[in-house]
Amino acid sequence: MADSFGNYVRRRRESLRQGDPSFSVRQVAARIGVQPSYLSKVERGDEAPPSEGKIIALAVELDEAPDVLLALADKVSSDLKEAICKRPRLFAELIRELKDLPDHAVLSIVREVRDGKW
Amino acid sequence: MIELKNDNLLFRFPKIHPRAKLRIELQRTLRIPDDGRTYPLPPGLGAFPLRHVDDLGPSVPASWLDHGGVVLPMYQSEALWLYFDSDYIADNDVAYPFAVKIAAGKINAVTGEDWANGLDRDPQDYIVVPEQPWLDGYCVERGTIRQFVAMPLGSGYSAEEQIRGSAEYGGLQIIAYPMKPEVFERRFPRLPEPHESRMYGDFSVGQVCTSPDMGLAPGGAMHQEIYSDPFDIEDWAQDSASRCFVHIANSLVWRAITGEQPPSTPPTAREYTDRGMPWFDYYADADAECADGSTVLRGLQGVAGLGKAKGDNALPENESVAPEKIVQLRRGLGKHQVREGRF
Repeated sequence: MADSFGNYVRRRRESLRQGDPSFSVRQVAARIGVQPSYLSKVERGDEAPPSEGKIIALAVELDEAPDVLLALADKVSSDLKEAICKRPRLFAELIRELKDLPDHAVLSIVREVRDGKW
Repeated sequence: MIELKNDNLLFRFPKIHPRAKLRIELQRTLRIPDDGRTYPLPPGLGAFPLRHVDDLGPSVPASWLDHGGVVLPMYQSEALWLYFDSDYIADNDVAYPFAVKIAAGKINAVTGEDWANGLDRDPQDYIVVPEQPWLDGYCVERGTIRQFVAMPLGSGYSAEEQIRGSAEYGGLQIIAYPMKPEVFERRFPRLPEPHESRMYGDFSVGQVCTSPDMGLAPGGAMHQEIYSDPFDIEDWAQDSASRCFVHIANSLVWRAITGEQPPSTPPTAREYTDRGMPWFDYYADADAECADGSTVLRGLQGVAGLGKAKGDNALPENESVAPEKIVQLRRGLGKHQVREGRF
């Protein structure tokens, strides 16, 4: 999984770098507060993915969804963990029920902003 | 469908296109001086918090529950702007287009007309995203808008009260129409070579205050163009609209109904400018066509002028400023081209 995370980050960063040189390993590493050599190793899969905080910072830099990068790193964001741990039985059951549904069916249960009369 | 996600309104149209998503953020900002001068664009200072009105139950006015939607807190004479961002679709190398109509107190912010569902082209009563990344106020003339400034509903300052003569709705009203899917595919055909996939994130008030609602009044003037629709009116899927009523709660009321502190008050234009912080200007191509602005809106009185006539000090700290550091942003914003001021 670590290799897949690294590859994904490298491809995304290189793609952005084609249009903007500030997406070099050195500059992205500086912006998220890690050493360039460390980010380079992560991208090559020689190091495990970084902490949740650094992954979220990286997601912001690369204009990616933090949850997607966390999932690639085999992690779940701490707010989701907290929500599940508060009501573990309920959420475990819910996720198992929903896991095989197609996206549009899952989206249909997302809470919507209600429109009224105006 | 509209979701509330991280204090953003996320409009999705999965039946139109899986990536037809529009994000609207209501940005805090400083109030520009209302002094007869025309200013560059002020910064974004972060998103206002948003809550479902349904979550606040019986503590909010019954009319809010009738209207549905969301609520945000604003201080009296605080300003806001709207930021629009639609999902970039790598296969077609374009962000999905939307037509978005914005009103305050059910007065259209582009034309000054009364609210109506549906789009009108003559004059254009909506903006087009992604062409238009933000809207800061009422379009009073070609290239000039007057900033949205919160004033208590019933005090006579809001555009709604000046035009309609009644204080009934307040808040902001937003309706979004996606481009028809077949038009999208025709106008923006998929790129022939496979591109790397860009994965994006799915992505009892009366006891506190007699006027919990705020309306948006016209404040100081700034340079901002409302771009003409480059597409055809038939290109928009007008039967697939989603709309939202954004109530504006007085900050004291917000504290009472949510139990949360509202964001701190923004800096004044003077404080911000004296610290050398950036203002912004947004340049389009020379050939970009723009709306002329509304004669109805041009006739509105600004908060400062109306306050003076009423004998109120409606806009404290309204000193003129001379912004020196102005960041130029070109149409078609790049990754790091943000309109943000860290203060």
